[in-house]
Amino acid sequence: MAPTESGKPAIIPGDAKNSEMIKRLYAKDLDERMPYHEEELTDQEKNILKRWVDQGAKFSTHWAYLPVQETTVPSGGFFSFFQKKDGNEIDRFIDQQLNNVRLQRSKEADKKTLLRRVALDLIGMPAPKHIQAAYLTDSSAQAYEKLVDSLLNLPAYGERWTAMWMDLARYADSKGYERDYIRSIWRYRDWLINSFNQDKSYDQFITEQLAGDLLPNPSDDQFLATAFHRNTMNNDEGGTDNEEFRTAAIIDRVNTTWETLLGTSFACVQCHSHPYDPFRHEEYYSFMAFFNNSRDEDTYDEYPLLREFRNNSVLQYDSVLNWLQTKANTSTNHFYKTFVKTGQQCINSLTADSLSNAALEDTKFLRMRKNAWARIRAVGLSDKQVLYIRYRMPVKYGKLDFYASSVDAKPFASVRIQQTKDGWQLMAIPMQHFFDGRKDIFIHFDSPLLKSNNDNGPVFDWFCFAPSFPGSNDPAFKTYFQTFTDLLNRPDAELTPIMMDNPSDLTRNTYVFERGNWLLKTKLVEANIPSIFNSQNKSYRNRLDLARWMTDKQNPLTARTMVNRLWEQLFGQGIVETLEDLGSQGASPTHQQLLDHLSYRFMHEDQWSIKKTLKRMVMSATYRQSSIVDKKTLEKDPLNKWYARAPRVRLSAEQIRDQALVICGAYSNKMFGPSVMPYQPEGIWASPYDGRTWEQSKGEDLYRRAIYTYWKRTGPYPTQINFDGTAREVCVSRRIRTNTPLQALNLLNDSTYWDLSLKFAKDILDKHPKNMDQGIVDAYETAVGKYPDPAKVKLLKNLYWTSFRTIQKNPEKSKALLTDSCINRTHELAAMAITANAILNLDEVITKN
Amino acid sequence: MRKLNIHQEAKKVSLEFQTRRHFLQQCRTGMGMLALGSMLDGCNYFGGDKENTGLLNANPLAAKASPLPGKAKSVIFLHMAGAPSQLEMFDYKPALQKMDGMDCPDSFLQGKKFAFIRGVPQLLGPQASFKQYGESGIWLSNHMPYFPSIVDDVSILKAVSTDQFNHAPAQLLMHCGTARLGRPSMGSWVTYGLGSENSNLPGFVVLTSGGRNPDAGKSVWGSGFLPSVYQGVQCRSEGDPVLFLKDPNGIDRDMRKASIEAINQVNQVAYQEFQDPEILSRISQYEMAFNMQIAVPDVMNITDEPEYIHRMYGTAPGKESFANNVLLARKLVEKGVRFVQLFDWGWDSHGTDPGTALDLGFVDKCRQNDQAVTALLMDLKQRGLLDETLVVWGGEFGRTPMQENRDGKQNVFKGRDHHSDAFCMWMAGGGIRKGFTYGETDEIGYHAVNGKVSVFDIQATILKQLGFDHTAFTYPFQGRNFRLTDVFGKVIEPVIA
Repeated sequence: MAPTESGKPAIIPGDAKNSEMIKRLYAKDLDERMPYHEEELTDQEKNILKRWVDQGAKFSTHWAYLPVQETTVPSGGFFSFFQKKDGNEIDRFIDQQLNNVRLQRSKEADKKTLLRRVALDLIGMPAPKHIQAAYLTDSSAQAYEKLVDSLLNLPAYGERWTAMWMDLARYADSKGYERDYIRSIWRYRDWLINSFNQDKSYDQFITEQLAGDLLPNPSDDQFLATAFHRNTMNNDEGGTDNEEFRTAAIIDRVNTTWETLLGTSFACVQCHSHPYDPFRHEEYYSFMAFFNNSRDEDTYDEYPLLREFRNNSVLQYDSVLNWLQTKANTSTNHFYKTFVKTGQQCINSLTADSLSNAALEDTKFLRMRKNAWARIRAVGLSDKQVLYIRYRMPVKYGKLDFYASSVDAKPFASVRIQQTKDGWQLMAIPMQHFFDGRKDIFIHFDSPLLKSNNDNGPVFDWFCFAPSFPGSNDPAFKTYFQTFTDLLNRPDAELTPIMMDNPSDLTRNTYVFERGNWLLKTKLVEANIPSIFNSQNKSYRNRLDLARWMTDKQNPLTARTMVNRLWEQLFGQGIVETLEDLGSQGASPTHQQLLDHLSYRFMHEDQWSIKKTLKRMVMSATYRQSSIVDKKTLEKDPLNKWYARAPRVRLSAEQIRDQALVICGAYSNKMFGPSVMPYQPEGIWASPYDGRTWEQSKGEDLYRRAIYTYWKRTGPYPTQINFDGTAREVCVSRRIRTNTPLQALNLLNDSTYWDLSLKFAKDILDKHPKNMDQGIVDAYETAVGKYPDPAKVKLLKNLYWTSFRTIQKNPEKSKALLTDSCINRTHELAAMAITANAILNLDEVITKN
Repeated sequence: MRKLNIHQEAKKVSLEFQTRRHFLQQCRTGMGMLALGSMLDGCNYFGGDKENTGLLNANPLAAKASPLPGKAKSVIFLHMAGAPSQLEMFDYKPALQKMDGMDCPDSFLQGKKFAFIRGVPQLLGPQASFKQYGESGIWLSNHMPYFPSIVDDVSILKAVSTDQFNHAPAQLLMHCGTARLGRPSMGSWVTYGLGSENSNLPGFVVLTSGGRNPDAGKSVWGSGFLPSVYQGVQCRSEGDPVLFLKDPNGIDRDMRKASIEAINQVNQVAYQEFQDPEILSRISQYEMAFNMQIAVPDVMNITDEPEYIHRMYGTAPGKESFANNVLLARKLVEKGVRFVQLFDWGWDSHGTDPGTALDLGFVDKCRQNDQAVTALLMDLKQRGLLDETLVVWGGEFGRTPMQENRDGKQNVFKGRDHHSDAFCMWMAGGGIRKGFTYGETDEIGYHAVNGKVSVFDIQATILKQLGFDHTAFTYPFQGRNFRLTDVFGKVIEPVIA
């Protein structure tokens, strides 16, 4: 609308006739006509544009990029008197749209159906017996609300919502790529469970995950939260470029942040400006700058690691802390505390260059041989008096010299190192000269014991330049220094990869990659959020600033994204179906006003409480209605976009397992801890080199909830994948439900389900030793949560008796069927197990009704 | 504006398409009636040939016509995981022999990065002898004594290049069009686009040999962002051929039939109650599961093959071997499976041990491979299947003309490092030109000098033979339309007959 190069504006609002843009549509000359060198628009299309200009050429920002406003709850207008008044505000929005399409909400589902539905939704499994009983016997108007409250307060609630978040965080117990070695990051999973159970406010929940390390005096928990972005893959394949895969991880963090927390597909901006949403190419890299200064460098050990000390190490740690508190100045205290807790600020040996008879072995560690040289560039040496190294040494002894700036000067540190046993060894080397500023460090190693150039000398993990360990004039210094080195050498600790930023002398610059190619670095950029969100040009420097922007109530995307996600978990589809994209590339919302209403309440009234928001949703009459549909409604709204009925949705992989555990009486409520290995067929893990095997867990660990099952990226648990779980390589924030024969085979034949069917059958026989028919009714009731239709009972009884007769004729079958030989009534048990297995396979059992 | 509209429209339609609910909406009436019909017919739906019944409309794997006319109906992709040495198989370089033991010229090393070579390595002459064969006069090494008999049926690509020199990323690039994880594999794309001809078998089957999965793991047959139903199903030589296929001990066919009938009948009652079309879909999936339990072990069983076939392939039933998998591949495409992906592990000839030595382990791998793949082409031909089956053979990259010196030290055995600039692959059948060589490398086999093709070009060509324009075959994800070939790829027209 501003003047163009030709001096005339392309669009004059209200005047299509004189608008150049419109004139060009009609131009005869092909070099003039727009679209340039493309097929001519149809008359109809031209008219639309003409009318738009004549009407004033109005355009506005896409709704998803405007802040959430309070929305007026529809009153129902003139006919409000006739409208239903049940439920809560959600229903007013739903009813308004239903009115428009002349549909009506269904009546409330029966009590038992509702009980099963809300339990599966809120805790991911059937409700505990006592809660079921309390609800079913309570005829007061508050019965349902009491049920909801008690479910929200169960520890199982946190586990259920952690299952959702693990997909978003692409959680796995292995590093991915070729070698796919183990990664110990389950403490992050436990952090999620606790956070959901405490109902940590969502703004705090994501601030800690994005930037817990940057909060003042971060607690272990806040450090652990940042493991969210350490779930990126790490490539240990020999010969790979660590910088390339570090870059891949950083890019994954950017894309995951947007997809998971901001409901926007940002990945495309990596290569070019966004064609439809207001993001420019360069803004991708400004945003990447928030993450690009992180310390991790695709190293084998995945530094930085949080050390959570146990047993004796806790005492050692406390005594070191005390010593530092009394002896060190603030900066030294902070340095050593961070060093002990996270191993930072060490320099990974794989950043060494200018190698002479040295190599980055397997592209992981610096290896030095006979008369070997290596360099580390631009190390900050101000206030540094001691050098720590972590190394292994295969030969008896050798000499290690460190030079600053030039190899001609005298070494500033020298040491004779001895052969090491039992792996890595930590050593402190006092510096003979001190420096200011940054210097290149040259390292030399030699040993007379190395005969040929090819004989191996020491291998290094990292180097760390540090201020002196404090208190050297105190007689107790030796003891404390020893405690400190012991603690670092052999800590009894759980190690978890976490996010930390580089110290100032290792700060990284971020450049725009030309067309997304990480090797083609062009313009230098500073951290910033996309300009559409930063009209006031505020400064956002690091991840903590980023988190503050994301959790600002003016941020248009954060609350909407989460509310939409919660809605999808309960209703099977989002208000915007494309959870990953609320913007112009996503699907249109079915109930945009409702989404805004809920988002506003989420932030302002409920102070980011997830539990309160979930409660709002499940208390609505829309949620509580029956899922039974008549032909007319099905024809009018086959996809159930308008909610004239409750959705019927197949359970998630996790819900299917967890529910089966409960139904069959096998469920272990043990929470937390390292991932476990329930039954899995042979041959699922076959990745080259890693050498690990699936070692089946024992006892109750066989029967724990799905979130505790070990997740190996190159060989994920088959049931999880069969039921639409994602491989957790990158974040896939929406599972697409499928219905396949492999799912049928899984539930029919997997030993897990067969084992559970047997347990179920034993329970039933114990309860109904005489009356099989009654047992079958009970089994169905246990599984579906309500009394069966007589037609179904007849079919199941038929299956039981057919199986029983077959087994009676061929008694060897029951022997094969039952693993445990010393049980009585084997025929009955085998037939009941077949029937129980059929029940576990029923559509009603694996679907939320 | 026009482009944008069309684009948005297409995007919207495909977004709707990616959910099964839409699918069910489209197929609701037809499928519902059929499923009901089979229920009311007294549940006799287990009998007879169900391979082409209308029930399959409920199936996202139902066979679909290709958008363009295609020559090939199915693909067998033989991947030699680890990357075989082209210099000992197809790319004859007499000059390299003369330079054996000489230091590699600096011009080849300038600005180059290798996986393991450090400093200045030495050139290594071919560890094989070569002769010309067939009417086409194609050069082949003495490690492949069988191949000459079918060399006039294949097109050899001598100057394939990739931009990855590590196994996992290069394998991903070859099969998923990217070196990163998270994108669909070629077989997933193809089954997504064409479905499968046989409802009782998976549309995309993966067979592995060599004792290990490929370096990139299951992701090379993953479905990425496509629905999981399109991922490759690994058929295994030991244990269940397909996971959970076998009934628990003691359950015979009749008992299984009775239990599936009971499940489906109860579900039918539930359908009357809920009117949810997804229930009908589930009923048909349980029928298919039952049929698969017969069809899969049947097709995976090679013991019934005649003796001459076993001799031809060099197969020994009952254990995991490349030859067995090749024979299985033939059986699978014969039954209408769309995409068969083989991975044979153990071609990473670095020369760090006898197994990876070019004059030891590598020769054994060549021999096993040669007999089986030759037999496959002959067998497909004699069954009239070669014209409609595209067979592709290759590794994820090639190997250097230099002897490897890992971490700067000369390796103990004869071996070569990873090489991404030029390597050999071949294609046969499915409308590919016969007895043809395309592309040429320099005198030591380091760079392509003409006819250079990329991994994307291979993918574009495979899609073309199946009836797809690789630039138009897309799926929306994370805000843009993705292709197997990303933004690259050009069909290799000269190798098309």
